[in-house]
This record gives sequence, C-alpha cells and structure tokens, in this order.
Amino acid sequence: MFSETLHWLRTKCSRLFRRGKAEAALDAELQFHLDQLIAQFREEGVTEREARLGAQREFGNTGVYREEIRDTWRPPRLADLWRALRFAVSSLSRSPGFALLAIVTLALGIGGNTMMFSAFTSIIQKPLPYPGQEALERFYRATPQDESGNFSPADFRDLQRAAANYGEVAAYALSDCSLSEPGQPAEMVSGIRCTANLFKVLGVPSQLGRNFLPKEDLSGNDRVMIISERCWQKRFGGKDDIIGRTLRVDGEPHEIVGVLPASFNDWRHLGWVDFFRPLGFDKDKVADRRDTILRVIGRRSASLSRAQADAFVANFGARLAKDFPEVNAGSSWRADSLASTTHGRSAGAMLKMCIGLSAFVLLIACSNLANFLLARTITRSRELAVRSALGASRGQLLQPLIAEALLLALAGAALAILVAQWGAAWISYRSIGENGERVTLIFNWSVFAWAVGASLVTAIAFGLAPALFALRLNVNEALKSGARGMTGGRGHQRFRKFLIVGQFALAMVLLAGAAVFIRGLDELNHRRDGWQSEHLITGTIVLPAATYPDDERVTAFHRLMLERLQALPEVASASVSLFTPSFNWPDIRKYVVQGRALPPPGHEPTAAVNTVSSRYFETAGTRILAGRSFDERDTATSPKVIIISQNTARGLFGNESALGKRLAQPGSAPLEWAEIVGIAADVKSILPEAPPVSFQIYEPMAQHPIRYNEILVRTVNSAPVSAVENIRNIITALDPDLPVRHLQSADSAIARTNYQTAILRDILTLFAVLGLGLASIGIYGVIARAMAQRTNEFAIRFALGARARDVSGLVLASGVKLALLGSVIGLFGAMASCACSPPETRGCSSTAHRLCLPRRFSWSGSRSSLAGFLLGALVGSIRLTLCARNKTSATA
Amino acid sequence: MDKVRNELLQGTLDLLILRTLAGAALHGWDLAKRIAVVSNDRLSLKQGSLYPALHRLEDRGWIEAEWGISDAGRNAKFYRLTRKGRRELQAEKAHWLSFATAVQNVLEME
Repeated sequence: MFSETLHWLRTKCSRLFRRGKAEAALDAELQFHLDQLIAQFREEGVTEREARLGAQREFGNTGVYREEIRDTWRPPRLADLWRALRFAVSSLSRSPGFALLAIVTLALGIGGNTMMFSAFTSIIQKPLPYPGQEALERFYRATPQDESGNFSPADFRDLQRAAANYGEVAAYALSDCSLSEPGQPAEMVSGIRCTANLFKVLGVPSQLGRNFLPKEDLSGNDRVMIISERCWQKRFGGKDDIIGRTLRVDGEPHEIVGVLPASFNDWRHLGWVDFFRPLGFDKDKVADRRDTILRVIGRRSASLSRAQADAFVANFGARLAKDFPEVNAGSSWRADSLASTTHGRSAGAMLKMCIGLSAFVLLIACSNLANFLLARTITRSRELAVRSALGASRGQLLQPLIAEALLLALAGAALAILVAQWGAAWISYRSIGENGERVTLIFNWSVFAWAVGASLVTAIAFGLAPALFALRLNVNEALKSGARGMTGGRGHQRFRKFLIVGQFALAMVLLAGAAVFIRGLDELNHRRDGWQSEHLITGTIVLPAATYPDDERVTAFHRLMLERLQALPEVASASVSLFTPSFNWPDIRKYVVQGRALPPPGHEPTAAVNTVSSRYFETAGTRILAGRSFDERDTATSPKVIIISQNTARGLFGNESALGKRLAQPGSAPLEWAEIVGIAADVKSILPEAPPVSFQIYEPMAQHPIRYNEILVRTVNSAPVSAVENIRNIITALDPDLPVRHLQSADSAIARTNYQTAILRDILTLFAVLGLGLASIGIYGVIARAMAQRTNEFAIRFALGARARDVSGLVLASGVKLALLGSVIGLFGAMASCACSPPETRGCSSTAHRLCLPRRFSWSGSRSSLAGFLLGALVGSIRLTLCARNKTSATA
Repeated sequence: MDKVRNELLQGTLDLLILRTLAGAALHGWDLAKRIAVVSNDRLSLKQGSLYPALHRLEDRGWIEAEWGISDAGRNAKFYRLTRKGRRELQAEKAHWLSFATAVQNVLEME
C-alpha cells in the first residue's frame, strides 16, 4: 500500500518536473498503438495509404486524446484555474483602463498597509540585538516627580554590591563628547559612558579588539573607548588597524580598544550612539547620592523568576529609601523588561494607528473594486445566463469571476510590494540624521506574506459581490431583459449604493481622523509657548574639562564669546544656557522656602532648572513679568539670585509677591539661600509629553558656570545663512578645538527632533488623500453607470423639453445623496473612533486638547464632505454633458 | 446486434479496463484487442479513447504503468491493477451487476 502511494507520488512529481519527458513517453505509447494498428491493416492486404487511414479511423482523434491526457497530469483544479487565469488575462486586457485602475487602486491600498506592517515589524516586533533579551531589565527609580527616574552613583554602587542575589547589573550615562582629530575641525558626537560590564550584560562582545576591563571603571584608567561598527565604517573606513589608535576626546587622548558588531547599530535601545567610554568616576563622584545620572540595566540570573527579581528590586529600593531618607524618601524601585522600554515602543501606538488607517484605505479600495467588478458582471449577465442555461455548473460560472479577482489581486500585490518598498525607502530617507544614521525597515518573509495575504483576502472580499450576483442570477429574467440592456435589478442597485455609502463613511473616518491628528501634530510642532523661535539660531558646545578646568575659565570664555557674538551686526542678542526653551529640562531639583517649616524629606516642591546667562530672556523671547533679568551685577561673588516662572510664583506664594523671597535646595548644610529677583513667563516645550514638573526656575550662569552650553543667538532680521557661519567662525577663533554642534535655526532643530512626527504627518495626509480619491472614483463609477442606464430616459426628457439643468440636477441628487449619507455616518464613526483611541495617539494628552476635538471634527468634517460633493458633482456633470450630447445626436 | 448503437454507457469503459487488467498486465494495444475479442467486437469503441481513460485511472492510483518489451520486441507501456484498483473493481462490478439486474427485472416484468 505504502509503496503504491510512493509510486504514485513519484510519477506525479516526475511529471511535474519532467513535462517534456512525459510528452515523449505519451508520443511513444500512442505511436506504438498506431503502428500495431497499421500493421494489422497491412496484413489485410490494403495499400499503405489505406492502412494508415484505417488505423486513424479506428484509433480516433489523437489530438483530442492527447489534450485529455494532459489534463490528468495537472492537478485537475489547477488545470482549470490555469485556463481560467489565461481567460481572465485576455478578458482584462480587453479593458486595460479598468485593469490598470483596479491594479493601481489595490497596489496603493495594500502597499500602504504593507509599508506600515513592515514598520511595525522592524520597530516593534524585531527583537533587540541582545542574546537572551528576555532576561534583560531596565531599572527605574520612581519619585513623586518622576515616574521613570534614574539612579545616583552611590545608589548604583550599593546595588552592584548586592546584585549577586539578582544577576548582573550595569549602568550608563548619556554623555556627548567633543572629538578633535589632527588637521580637522573639532566636532561633537553622541557618546555614552558606561560601566565596564555593560556589553557583557547586554551579551554583545566586540567584533574587533576587546571589551572594557573591570579596572577601567576607575578614574585614571578610563582613557579607552569602544566604537560602533557604523562609526568604524563611516569615520575610519573600516580599517583593521583601528584597534590601538588614539583619539582626542574632550581634549584628552583615548585609545580605541574595541569595535562593536554591526548588529549593535540598532537605534531602539541606546539611540544613535557611536562612542562608548567607561564611567571613570572619581572617589567623590562614586559616593554622590544626589546626582541621578545613571541609567541602570540588569540581566536576571536564570535561577530567578521574574517575580522574585521584581521583589528583590523593590525591596532594595525600599531599603535605600529607609537608609538615606534625605535623598531617597518617597522613591521606589522597579524593573521593566528592557524590550518594553525602548525608543521603538513609544512609536508603537502611532504605528498601530497608522496600520488601522491604512486598513481603512484598503477597505475603501476593496469596496471600489467590488463595485467595479459587480458592474462588469452585470453587463455580462446575459453571457452568464446563457452559460447557465447550457448547463454550466455553479463552479464553472464562478470560475472566470474568481480568476479575474485573483489575477487583479496578485498583480496588485506585486505592485504593492514595490509601493511598500518605495515607502520604506522614503521613510528611511526622511529619517536620515546628521551622521548618516537612519531608520531602515526590514522586508522579510513575514512582510511579503502580509502583502500576499492581504491581497488574497482582498480578492475574496471584492470577488464576493460579483460571485453572489452570478449565483443568484435569474436566468429567465436575464435572458428576457437582455434585449433592453441590464440594469442589475433593484437588489443590486441597493447593494452598490450601500457600497458607495460605506466607502464615503470610511473615507470620512479616515479624513476626519487624519485631519484631527495632523492638526494636533502641527499645533505641537508650532507651539512656541512663552518663547519665540523666529530669528533664533541655536547650537551646542561642551567646554572640555582639560582646557577649562575651573569656573573662572568657563565664565571668562562665556563672557568673551558672548561679547564677540553681540558685536556681529546681524545679531540682536546672544546668550548661553544649559537648555533651550524648545525641549524639556531634565535638571529637576527640590526647593524649600525661607521662613517656612521644612517639609518632610521627599515632599519638597520641585522645579525644572535652567542655568542661563544674562541676556537669555531677551534672546529666547521669554518675557520677564516682574522684577529684573540677570545682569552684570550677578557674579560669582555677588549674593545668589534666581528667577522663577509665573506658575512657580503662584504655586509657592499664591497672591503674595514672590520678589525678594528666598529659596534654597535642601540637603546642603548650611542651606544656600538665593533671592528671587524676577518672575518670568511660563515656557512650554514643543514635546508632546508634559514635563514631570510644572515649576521652572532659572539660575545665573555666572554664579553656576556649566560646561555644557546651548548657544542662543537672536538675529535682527530673518537669519541670513552667513549668520551661522559667522557664529561658528567666532567660536572657532576663540578655541579651535571646540566643536559647535547642531548650529541651525531653532525651527529646523525642532523639525529634526520631530522627524517622526513629520513622517507621521505625511503618512496620514497620504492616507486621507488616497481614501477620498478612491471614494470619489467609486461615486464616479456609480453615477456614470446610472447615466448610461438612463440615457433613453434622458433623451425622452430632453425631447419633451427638459433643460440640461433639470436633468443634471436629477443626476447630481442621486450622487450627492449617497455622499451625504456616507459622510454623516462617517462623521459619527470618526468621533467614536477618536474617542476610543488611546490618548498618546492624539499627539497630545492635555485635557484642553481633548476638549476641542468635537469642534474640530465638525470643521474638518464639513470641509471634507464638501470636497467629496464637489468631486462627485464635477464628475457627474461631465459625464452628463457627454451623455446628453450623444443622446441628442442619436435622437436627431 | 448493431455495432453503431452500442455506444458505451458513461463510466463503463473504466470498468471494462479494470476488469480486463485484472487478469494480467497489458499494454494499450493488447488491452484494446482483448476487449474486442471478449465482447465479440460488439462494442463500438475508438481505440484511442482507451488512453485518456488509462491515464485517468493511473492518476487515481487504480492502475500503475511500467515500460516493458512487447511481444513484437518494441518498447511498450504495460498497465497493471493496483490493490486500490482491485478494490475499486469489486465495488464497481457489484454496483454494475445490481444495476443491470434491476434494469433487467424491469424489462422482463410480466
């Protein structure tokens, strides 16, 4: 039995692959029989020619048998399908316009969908490039101010000592560094300082050279560096002699000891970082329990369950909170799986929304095609009826319809994969950063499977309508009414109208949804709350500790640089500060008010602090509402002063005047009081997420010099291109080793930071336009068909004296009614879907933003339905005039 | 009996082939001759029409084929009944006989 099956299988397979051989065997077999027959006739004594003719007669038509036999070679269904597909090709090529429209429609619908799926796969689903990533966790220290806070060096040291019960922990801090190579201008690059075991914990060994050694954690041994593969290739040309090379980083020579593997270039966890150095904390820094600069990750040991590890981390945090209440009171620790904390995750909600919207586009495309195919089938109903009357089975009736849908779907899928790849290339292009880093989307088998799957589902969806029509076709009716031209009957009219209404509803949801999101994103991008970005140029410098070892030198450099910048004719004012107003200030500190009882530790009011030079406020365009700005009076030796924001003043002092009051940061003894000399307007960053604290406090740079500086320059008029060069030249003249990073207008800096938003905005616009376009094509199709069917009626109307306006009104009414109904349904759908969407997808979580959603709906809704009407009307009337002209000429 | 009127009933050809092959492995030519002899040449059958049927039966796994040497010393394709084919033959034969008996009973009623 088994051997029989095997034999059968073997013959099947060999036939599949050796068709030529099978043909030859068949020839031989038939020829043998014929020869025998001929020989038999010959024996009867007839002529050679008669023998051959007789044999042919006896044998029958060889060609027919051959064809029949060939059919048995293919799996029978496939054979039919193949024939049906060939038939579909020829029938579609007879109406190339329709075929092209259908394929392009599908390609755009599926392509957009596939592109979003590819983005989702690459950003959310693809595992991090770390082996055994399930055991990796990111630690957080939650405080009342910051849900996802980081750790101080001393806290981390304690954790490291106790970590044997957990597994292994590592820490890192983001630390940009300036890079100066001989003969080249200095530049600033993204860097990370980390514990020596970071790569060990991540499970990523260097591909060249070595990892950091434990002793390199100590200050003094830390002049070593590991670089990324991207940096190795781009900056050093991928040469093997890279190990042992020395680079000047922050003014000191560092030896390159390792190159990370290419897989580590993944941006999702650490971002686009190319240079890694050991933390190199000195004794004082290691014991620092206040400065929470360390991000901590850990690898759970295999013997520990997730719950046990969580308990360990929480307990350890609680112990530190108890042991060091003055800094840790009110804090609690937790560990999240590393994969859930990556940059990519934050894009997840947006991506899901985009996939959802692209599905809407696909649905619209589907219903469009269903409509077209149905129309085609209705015009073919006479043919179908005849075939059915001649005894064609249901399967035989459906075959050409299914084949046509399948063919369109496959062609659409092929083009869709191209479209998706263009889309991915475009996203990648839009995400290119200044070092050539970019987001690349992967196209693996699952993405292809998605495209093909989507196209098959689509084929079934839009092939279904004509199929149902064909099955329910009433043969008698069809044959009788055939002479008068088919209208498709009442039920089908209703079905097609339903499709149009559905299409418009979907398009409306798409359009209204996209409009709301786009406006939300735009508002974020253009929000300049409490400061002004016009005519503003920003850039970053970091003064290396080697060249500027003390506060005096830092202050002297600041003074000199600002003096020279101010002297430029195009410059209105210039300043240095720790942060720009555009983004959140991560420097969050606790404050106490002089003359009031100290709150319990951990419950002090907190504020985001910016350290600014004297002309910061006029440069940034932040108004001083009361008191004064910082000025020449505020020096390292003068009494300490601060400026607080309006919100801080209201929160701390209510209706009292805050001027002259004093604040200090708890923890130091004695407390260092600073007098409030001014009240500044509140500043809101352009970032969607609200800052963890709403209070803002400014310290004078002269009293607290900082080496990390944002340079702000306000130009007199619209910043000329030369201004950027002039600024750079001034700084380079002061210190040739000092790189200026991101020197550009504040608006373009914001645009670069928000590139994801910009991409998202473009995608949403694209989907909305596509949706409306497809829906309009749909309504065009329906009106056009209605016109074609009613030409006789119109001709009679014209003949009886109707004016073109009456008839066009009649036609428009039918289209407009459908569009209107669909739009209204869609409007409700849009409101419902937006109310359900998670807040982060709205681009803004503020209540105010949420409140104005309905108003926007009605606005964007009315605009878009108007657009729909216009399109429908336009198309309808064009068609109408054509028709009317034809008819009148026909009747005349 | 008139040869022309003896068109084969649909499905009968398969049964004839299976039955004829039950005795021995045959090639198409022998098969055609055997059927003609056994039926006293009374079945009108284009000999070529055997081949689609043979290939169809082979496709269903009821018979299997093997190239061999014919009596005349030429290469020929020999068909043989498979076990599955044998079972099928039993079933079809029973079915046919009961059908034929039923028809006969009706025709010969008083």
